[in-house]
Amino acid sequence: MQPILTVDLTTGATGTLEIPAEWARDYLGGASLAARILYDALTPELDPFAPQAPLLFLNGPLSGTSGPTTGRFVICGKSPATGLWAESNIGGFWGVELRKTGYDGLLLTGAATDPVYLFIDAGQVQLRPAVHLWGQDTYEIQTAINAEIEGATARVLGIGIAGENRLPAALLLSDHGRVAGRTGLGAVLGSKQVKALAVRGAGAIPVADTTRYNPLRSAANRALHQDNLTASLRDLGSAGGADYFDYLGEMPKKNFTAGTLAGVDNLSGASIAETILTGVSACHACVVACGRVVQLPGEKEKRKGPEYETLMGLGANLGITDAVFVTRMGDLCDRLGMDTISVGNTLGLAFDFYARGRLTAADTGGLALEWGNAAAVETLLPQIARRQGFGAQLAEGARAFARRYGDEDAAVQVNGLEAAYHDPRGASGIALSYATSPRGACHNQSDYFIVEIGQAEEDLGLQFFGRQAGAEKSANVAIHQDWRTVFNSLVICVFGNVPPQTVVDLINAACGLEWDIPEMLRAGERGWNLKRAINNRLGLTRANDRLPRALLEPLPDGGSAGYVIPFDAMLRAYYEARGWDWATGKPGRDKLEALGLGWVAEDLWPAT
Amino acid sequence: MPSIFPSEEWLLELKDYINQDEKYAHIARNWEGDVMFHIEPTGALIEPLCFYVDLWHGECRGVKMVPTGDLTEAAFDLTASYDNIVKVLKGQLDPMQAMLTRKLQVKGSMPYMMRNVPTVLEFVRCAQDITGQVLGEN
Ligand code: SF4
Repeated sequence: MQPILTVDLTTGATGTLEIPAEWARDYLGGASLAARILYDALTPELDPFAPQAPLLFLNGPLSGTSGPTTGRFVICGKSPATGLWAESNIGGFWGVELRKTGYDGLLLTGAATDPVYLFIDAGQVQLRPAVHLWGQDTYEIQTAINAEIEGATARVLGIGIAGENRLPAALLLSDHGRVAGRTGLGAVLGSKQVKALAVRGAGAIPVADTTRYNPLRSAANRALHQDNLTASLRDLGSAGGADYFDYLGEMPKKNFTAGTLAGVDNLSGASIAETILTGVSACHACVVACGRVVQLPGEKEKRKGPEYETLMGLGANLGITDAVFVTRMGDLCDRLGMDTISVGNTLGLAFDFYARGRLTAADTGGLALEWGNAAAVETLLPQIARRQGFGAQLAEGARAFARRYGDEDAAVQVNGLEAAYHDPRGASGIALSYATSPRGACHNQSDYFIVEIGQAEEDLGLQFFGRQAGAEKSANVAIHQDWRTVFNSLVICVFGNVPPQTVVDLINAACGLEWDIPEMLRAGERGWNLKRAINNRLGLTRANDRLPRALLEPLPDGGSAGYVIPFDAMLRAYYEARGWDWATGKPGRDKLEALGLGWVAEDLWPAT
Repeated sequence: MPSIFPSEEWLLELKDYINQDEKYAHIARNWEGDVMFHIEPTGALIEPLCFYVDLWHGECRGVKMVPTGDLTEAAFDLTASYDNIVKVLKGQLDPMQAMLTRKLQVKGSMPYMMRNVPTVLEFVRCAQDITGQVLGEN
């Protein structure tokens, strides 16, 4: 693999980090390799906003190779939202551009004294003043930076006001609204006084065996283009399944307290396709093109359309069913640099408290936080990003807000990360995804709901269980997590419905390996356990593998009414499948050694 | 005794069954769309086979085997191998799993299809209910 560019923002010193070949083989790349690289640096004492906190931008061996959904990279570090492992992957074009500069990654440490942006131009690295960009939104900085550099367009990845203000929900955005939304890494970049990272490269993307890779890539892209899921994602976006999720009771409403909501079909991908959709957008070389381009009534300009999580977070979760409004608010969050999942979830909690009389207009600066009150949302989003007024109370996220009112368990979050919009009562496997993900209540470390509705790949050993089955599916969830850990190493997109054997063939050709599916799953399991070990070192125990109260109570209506998740039994079966220690929550010594993580076993299980 | 799949008799039986099934009538009450099934030869099926089902507002209005050269068009085309269709009909392969693991290809309006997944699943349930013996079984 190509080296990693290192930049010390305190001194301005740059260098390169060469990655040992066996690390690149065992961890493949992306998030798992990042975990290996950052293992020693992520200590319990490390403040995510301290200058020495590392922030690593890393591609995978397939990034930018024009294989199926390979235009992605990952950002990793220590999360200000959770205090645990942070990982957020993102599409667009920035990561590919970085690879073209001759670096597979960028490792930032230190902090600048005044706002700067970094410009990596085909191997030349400059720190440039960004005082004039501080306060600008995530689209404005792309235009402004490109106006002041000469020559071809650079790809710009940057933060908004939320990142400057160190919100735990702060994101990084590039291109036409592609975001690394989760775990607050935009705040880490902001803490380093870095507004943006501009990249321009012209080199080739390295592939071990192009003679083998290129025909495989073409065939895989042709097949993916014809795929049913691709057709749904291209025609309807990521909200294509919304109607079905609603039917199943898998779509959350009103802070996960309601199973039905009149008019919620307005928020589906089908409805958007029939009303405001004017085109699609794609990450680098992606044949799926799940991105939405919409035109709102009365507007001339086209803009980014909302994806599923935004539609739910700023829509159904708040009792709002106006897709045009949600589109505008999603765009506002992007510009302010806030993750729509976390912000929508935190607002949902405030609305919920208001509905229960635990908050009044006297607390909210006069805002009536009644379900469906869109005007209140529009008022609060800038307040949150700026930490002003009642927004300042919401700016630290749902857990902190609930703590303020003496009821932490009211927040629909795990370990500080707000839950995404897949309700485990409608499809129970995501309960384990949320409870055991290395980054909190995340749906992308295992989007297990897709297995529950049918994507149970037999080649991976996945079985097809009933959506409200219990402990019998725990081992299945673990397999799916391992497979998604492979995706997050490559780095490829969970939306790419590529047959597992094809994925393995592509990796082998790109990396010069001869692995089979079980070997690849083992690499995924290795990465999953390594991230778990990092979190154990940071203080995580079995007590952290939990669900918030709201998800353990039955819903009153809708497609999953009355169902209670057998969570304790599921978790116990999961631990057995994983080979984890029930007393401590750590991966067992034998498991670690079997995965080639003996060095981690020495750390987690020191000889007494 | 149930008719053998695939056959004209099986299709007619499917039509009658759908038209007396209250659950289907309720869930599919807004469905408007005919479907062409393209079955590729595998296992006991040695020639491609095509049949047509006209579904409208919770009813089945018509069915027919479609000979090669017939120019009938439908709102949706479903394509699968004979072996996979049989697995679906026998409940050994979930229809959504077939769609999401590339064993059954769908062509037609995606907005319509994704709004009406429960109708599709109810249709399959009816087809499963009437399927007994299949070609290639003794
Ligand atoms: S499917 Fe969508 S998010 Fe995934 S790589 Fe393609 S365009 Fe990007």
